Amino acid sequence: LQLPSDLKVAGQKLALKTIDWVAFGEIIPRNQKTIANSLKSWNEMLTSRLATLPEKPPAINWAYYKANVAKAGLVDDFEKKFNALKVPVPEDKYTVQVDAEEKEDVKSCAEFLSLSKARIEEYEKELEKMKNIIPFDQMTIEDLNEVFPETKLDKKYPYWPHKPIENL
Amino acid sequence: SDGAPGPGHWDADAAAGGLVDLAVPGGAFSGRRAPCLKNPVLGPGVLQAIRIFHTRQPSLAPIPCVPEYGGKVCLGLIPKEFFQFLYPKTGVRGPYVLGTGLILYSLSKEIYVITAETFSAISTIGLLIYVVKKYGASIGEFADKLSEQKIAQLEEVKQASIQQIQDAIDTEKSQQALVQKRHYLFDVQRNNIAMALELTYRERLHRVYREVKNRLDYHISVQNMMRRKEQEHMINWVEKHVVQSISAQQEKETIAKCIAGLKLLAKKAPSQPVL
Repeated sequence: LQLPSDLKVAGQKLALKTIDWVAFGEIIPRNQKTIANSLKSWNEMLTSRLATLPEKPPAINWAYYKANVAKAGLVDDFEKKFNALKVPVPEDKYTVQVDAEEKEDVKSCAEFLSLSKARIEEYEKELEKMKNIIPFDQMTIEDLNEVFPETKLDKKYPYWPHKPIENL
Repeated sequence: SDGAPGPGHWDADAAAGGLVDLAVPGGAFSGRRAPCLKNPVLGPGVLQAIRIFHTRQPSLAPIPCVPEYGGKVCLGLIPKEFFQFLYPKTGVRGPYVLGTGLILYSLSKEIYVITAETFSAISTIGLLIYVVKKYGASIGEFADKLSEQKIAQLEEVKQASIQQIQDAIDTEKSQQALVQKRHYLFDVQRNNIAMALELTYRERLHRVYREVKNRLDYHISVQNMMRRKEQEHMINWVEKHVVQSISAQQEKETIAKCIAGLKLLAKKAPSQPVL
């Protein structure tokens, strides 16, 4: 459900961005899926209601009313007042909040990105190290302990079996 | 990069040709461990702190590979280098002749005395040679298989850890890609806001229209109703007065006329059956 980017509507330009719902679904973490779904359903409801409601209300047939209403001047009065009426456009206080949130999010994303890059570098270093170890059949135990530090035997039990006899 | 994972602990003097027992793999182990075994009083860790080995800079030359097979031997005892050494002077049969000569000399001069031990030695050595010749290879294979299993296990661990690191890198990369799509969240919110505002505005316009129309329609319907009521009232009033104005005399005359007319009609159509 995507809307064209601009709808010229009731005197104002409705600038809607096209949304890729697949990507939208991807970025939501699992514990916020319900909120995201509610956002999506709001969006769909609004678009459907917007589609059903026509842009302008139909024009009032002033001639007919002028001919039929007996009270003189009533129709003229109504017409004048109706044309003079300006429906107030609802003011938009919320886009500012969304923009502020987005800025914060961009900042935190940049932070995450830099941390993630640092992590990737560490991982790549480890990968290089792993790939460059000498073949196992030419290693000694000390080489093994260097590459896989978890194989290092405890200094407390240097002789076999490397644990107290109770633990066998 | 060279094969040494770090400064080579044990072959510091190899390049300088220091320790002789380096030719045996693990020979340096015995060099390092020996102090531990000789002095059981001191713990294994303490002595290494006191004795200072390997004070020269460790050489970073690649360590020679552990040899797969031992040196070639002839008769299971004598290394081939001896035969090579004698070859220029005595040819191929030289060492054998030397060996035979030495054995005969020791037997004849009774340097080696034949006792009961000789026969037990002959049978033992014969048995040993028989067993080694027959089963040596298979036992060797068995041992090789065990060692291969251990190495395969280590390989698995290495591959698994490489895979793990790769996966971690890939996850990080995909998360970085996701960061690019974060803006959709806010786009949706902004779209929602814009649409809601637009909707409210349109609803207001419609409401204005509806209210005005309602009022005008109300006036018109009120007028219509008044006119109808007036009409009905007038009709009723006219009827009432007409009925009132018909005096009793006129009523009688009218009724007599009506009856005469009916009689005439009845005469005109007598054959019509009454259904």
